[in-house]
Amino acid sequence: MDREYTIVGTRMTRTDSLAKVTGSASFTADLKLPRMLCAKVLRSPHPHAKILNIDTSRALRLPGVKAVVTAADAHGVKWGVFKYTQDHPMIAVDRVRYVGEDVAGVAAADEETALEALDLIQVDYEPLPAVFNPEDAMKKDAPLIHEEYANNINVHVHIEVGEVDEAFGQAHLVREDTFHAAGEAYSTLEPYATVASYANGYLDLWMPNAAPHVRAKALSNLLKMPLNKVRVRRINVGGHFGSRSEVSPGDLVTSLLSMKAGCPVKLVLTREENAACTRQVHDIQATIKTGVKKDGTITAKEFRVVYDGGAYSSTGPIAASIPYYVYEEAYRFPNVRYNGYRVITNKGIRGMYGAHGRAFLCGNEMQLDMIARELGMDPMEIRLKNGLKVGEETATKSVIISGGLEEPIRRAAEQANWTEKRAGLTEGEGIGMGCVAVMCGFPMGFRSGSACYVKLNDDGQATIVTGICDTGMGNESMAIQIASEVLGIPVEDISLVNADTVVTNLDPGAYSQAASFVGGNAVKRACEDAKRQILGFAATKMNHPAEDLDIRDRTIISKTDPSKSMPMRWIVREAFFQGKPIAATGAYMPKVDFQREWIKKPYGQMAGTFSFGCSVAEVTVDKETGQIRIPHFVAAHDCGNPINTMAVEGQIEGSVQQAGVAVLTEETRWTEGLLLNPDLLEYKVPLACDMPEIEPLIVCSNDPEGPFGAKEGGLTTRMNAYSAVVCAAHNALGVPLNEFPLTPDRVLKALDAAKGGDKS
Amino acid sequence: MERFKVKLQLNGEAVELDVNPSETLLETLRDRLELTGAKDGCGLGACGSCTVLLNGLPTRSCIVLTAELDGSEVSTIESLADGTKPAPVQESFMEKGAVQCGFCTPGMILTAKGLLDRNSRPTKEEIIRSISSNLCRCTGYKKIVEAVEAASSTETPKT
Amino acid sequence: MITSKFEFRSPKDVEEAVRLYREFQGEAVYLSGGTDLVPRMKLGLEKPKAVIDLKRIVPLTTVEDQGDWIRIGPLARIFDLKQNDLVGDYFPALEASLEATSCESLQMRGTIGGNLLQNSRCLFYNQSEFWRRSKGFCLKMGGESCNAVPGAKTCFANYCSDNAPALCTLSAEIELSGPDEVRRLNLEELYTNKADKPFDLQPGEILTAIFVPKKKSIGGYEKLRVRGAIDYPLLSAAFSFVDGTGKLAIGAVGPKPYVVEMKQPSHDAIGEAVEVVLKQVRPVGNTVLDPDYRKRMIPVLAGRLINKVMEGAK
Repeated sequence: MDREYTIVGTRMTRTDSLAKVTGSASFTADLKLPRMLCAKVLRSPHPHAKILNIDTSRALRLPGVKAVVTAADAHGVKWGVFKYTQDHPMIAVDRVRYVGEDVAGVAAADEETALEALDLIQVDYEPLPAVFNPEDAMKKDAPLIHEEYANNINVHVHIEVGEVDEAFGQAHLVREDTFHAAGEAYSTLEPYATVASYANGYLDLWMPNAAPHVRAKALSNLLKMPLNKVRVRRINVGGHFGSRSEVSPGDLVTSLLSMKAGCPVKLVLTREENAACTRQVHDIQATIKTGVKKDGTITAKEFRVVYDGGAYSSTGPIAASIPYYVYEEAYRFPNVRYNGYRVITNKGIRGMYGAHGRAFLCGNEMQLDMIARELGMDPMEIRLKNGLKVGEETATKSVIISGGLEEPIRRAAEQANWTEKRAGLTEGEGIGMGCVAVMCGFPMGFRSGSACYVKLNDDGQATIVTGICDTGMGNESMAIQIASEVLGIPVEDISLVNADTVVTNLDPGAYSQAASFVGGNAVKRACEDAKRQILGFAATKMNHPAEDLDIRDRTIISKTDPSKSMPMRWIVREAFFQGKPIAATGAYMPKVDFQREWIKKPYGQMAGTFSFGCSVAEVTVDKETGQIRIPHFVAAHDCGNPINTMAVEGQIEGSVQQAGVAVLTEETRWTEGLLLNPDLLEYKVPLACDMPEIEPLIVCSNDPEGPFGAKEGGLTTRMNAYSAVVCAAHNALGVPLNEFPLTPDRVLKALDAAKGGDKS
Repeated sequence: MERFKVKLQLNGEAVELDVNPSETLLETLRDRLELTGAKDGCGLGACGSCTVLLNGLPTRSCIVLTAELDGSEVSTIESLADGTKPAPVQESFMEKGAVQCGFCTPGMILTAKGLLDRNSRPTKEEIIRSISSNLCRCTGYKKIVEAVEAASSTETPKT
Repeated sequence: MITSKFEFRSPKDVEEAVRLYREFQGEAVYLSGGTDLVPRMKLGLEKPKAVIDLKRIVPLTTVEDQGDWIRIGPLARIFDLKQNDLVGDYFPALEASLEATSCESLQMRGTIGGNLLQNSRCLFYNQSEFWRRSKGFCLKMGGESCNAVPGAKTCFANYCSDNAPALCTLSAEIELSGPDEVRRLNLEELYTNKADKPFDLQPGEILTAIFVPKKKSIGGYEKLRVRGAIDYPLLSAAFSFVDGTGKLAIGAVGPKPYVVEMKQPSHDAIGEAVEVVLKQVRPVGNTVLDPDYRKRMIPVLAGRLINKVMEGAK
């Protein structure tokens, strides 16, 4: 690095934390507008049924009810991320496909009246046969849930690289295993909510979202309104993890109610509604076949992965691909065949998870350990041998421009005393390693990039305007920190205006790990432009070459002669005088292959860069009870270069809970399309007392493209922490573990199965 | 349905309320008094986001009826700072990076405050036991524990 | 929100409370800490006309050394009780069960009486009104048959009190005060062995005291749960050894604690005691862990607990 940064890389107190510790930070449910009404949604009690008739007349007559909406009030536009997956009307038209599907909405003066009105809406249903698991749904005689999806197969992602069958034929060792993982709940602490306020032809909206621009566009389509009349505004978001990426049925219902009632309307989902009626995580079954040479080099991979997609497409092909991509971005696969099937069932809607693909990823990693054992190799060695390095390409032709798997592996192993620990394990103890790499952004057409405006105010302070969205990870603080570093003014001199579609410019959002790499880059470039303008004026005013000037602590200063200096605000005022106020723009478009398409052309540069990570977990297993404890966890994450060290650590540590400990406790449980644990009591989000000692390690590969070398801030841990724990449990038990999460009953079943002869 | 009169010491001030008997303390705070710092995370007492101090004890306000509280003292997150100066426990949550999305934060801080008020020098185990009452989905709890540890050395012991 | 409409009363003594109960013709519920009752009202599992808050009845909140007995007021909070010296000195099994109850914040609100009289639980029952209507009402909601075991005419909900098994091992007695009489019975006699209506309580009866013989004991409590706090037990084991006799109680695998006495807790005696329990329990798939697993853990939990307690005494 050329020089030490002033504020980048420090443990800065996040700029949003004061409002959050004092309780003044507003979330959507906290909003209160004049004349605001309360909304409630009537939901389908059936997993699959025809709607024969809806009669809302009695509800409309109830005093206090201001509006009732059904599909008849919507515009017949269906939601789906891609043209070929637009299948979700958001308010059921003539058929319901999951329990909890939105059928009608009511806006009333208060919650009690709204609930009473729901009881007065008469819906006549004709129940249809339903199907709840993807293997059944693909059978010939299964009920067809959407006419357009034969065998209920929503999407089929097929990737084929090299000569797979030939490579298997020549392999020294081939293993095939099948793994199944129950779906998870995102369990954001904030239940979903929407406030819609329609007036004078314009619709203002607040809701927990991860990309305001993408959300506004989706709603403008669904409402058939011009995009400039749909404004999604900035609000604090109580956690996201993938769950707030897409437009939600509640957004449409609330918007329609507000437009009909002519008043602001607030919908707040209950915890149960949040679990059953907003997107949750796919159940996944993965069959994984791997061929290796004698020295452990992977020569062939074949995958068949079935994703339980619930009733509608949502992110469809993305969800059916990402687990594979984050794996091929870590390891070298010369020959690979991937078949991912996302299958429609009569269960709640599904989306992408920060920790998406549990069965696939830990299945691969555990199988790699089994292979290593058969070859007499250390699991670390086989990972090092196959890990991608800078300059190499992934199987589907993405170039790695920084990082590589080796350093995270070496750092994590060293910190965890990998070799010594492995040698000294006693009965019931295990140590395991999980690796992955993650794309920072992916192709989203012209929405892949971000743009930022900066203006310098008359006292020398700055306003940054960016579409960057913060769902809790600290993106707002990150943008301010970058601006502070570039402009040479302290953080408190910077005002941020963000995530407001009328004001801010396009940004890809906070769900493809693009916020620092793409959005941060745009902020940096805009501030650099502003700085250039400032130094240009300063050069004239100070009669000193601009190249020798810099801004430090609100002062223009000569790099070679520090006695030459001038307060920056003088220069800013000078610019105003000359009628050329400092106003700058910066944009960043990642270098990706825009021809790449998830199904039609899954080849080409996926992302501008990739982050790499390795987690090492130590476990102890009680073989009599099946209970697993994780005393110690090391997570190494290559974030390029941390903008805020403390914030990156926080991402890593949170990921250990959401994946590393979750693999022992978390699963959604179902009874015929009804969630058995739509709450926070029986859905087991780990508590402080369940957590291991965590050592987060930040690996700095200093990305050549990223702002100050930064990539993304912690997702690799979210993607590999459960692999590490599963591999450690496998190491301790020596038997295959094929069913996840690793609850104690499943652990004992695996031990019993192995006793029954299925030794591996 | 008859109303129910309740007198409270709320954030240091005497208030007299006329509530619906089925109203929870969380509803009273958020809907009636516009004190929205306490969050409704689950509505069934499972997550702790709605925690307030009731007579000094961390309490889930979503499963307490306001009608139960005549004569009680209630403190919400809004009362913790001294004017614009955050309390030491709030400061340490900020400095240690214990805040991410912020939804669990008010409840978590009040749970920590309740602990520190009765035990100004808790051990790490005692801290973990106390904050295991509250769910956090972002932080993995490590920095929260560190924040409470840091606060325990700055918080003035209550006598 | 709680959608049912009710009146709220806070009587100053037991007589007034019982009188109020009669006034509302039985459509009233008694409120203690509310950590079980309020969620039940929110889910629409209780729709009372009146809520009678017992917390202002001071004698119900105190702990008293009566010489041969320790009298525990049922409104004593779990958090206070676990720090009570009498409990710590005499009843280690109870102390451990109090510590294992839920989490610290809920221990501060929850009371021991409320813990004893919490309703039985089932994943197919502790759900919202919308959920239950979608699924169709089960036996415990007045329906035709069980939803956890389709077609069954028996309710399989689990009684998940942490403190009841511990109190059973200590041979606790309880006092119930009703409209007609005050009666005292062994805690074990409180249970009907029917999960849909787990308590043998007369309309209007209030749990007004818990009496535990004041005898030094050794003992402990073990709890199977997924997380280290908040969770209800998926299986629990309490053991106390008093005056040369041991008592084992197994909880959370049926509508009541299963209590077995043993003279000396030898390996064989433990095995026999566990056999007695295993013959009575019928765990089904209505919790987050597999029923066979929960049954299989009974001897493991019991054996480990008893051995730990007896080892500690050496």
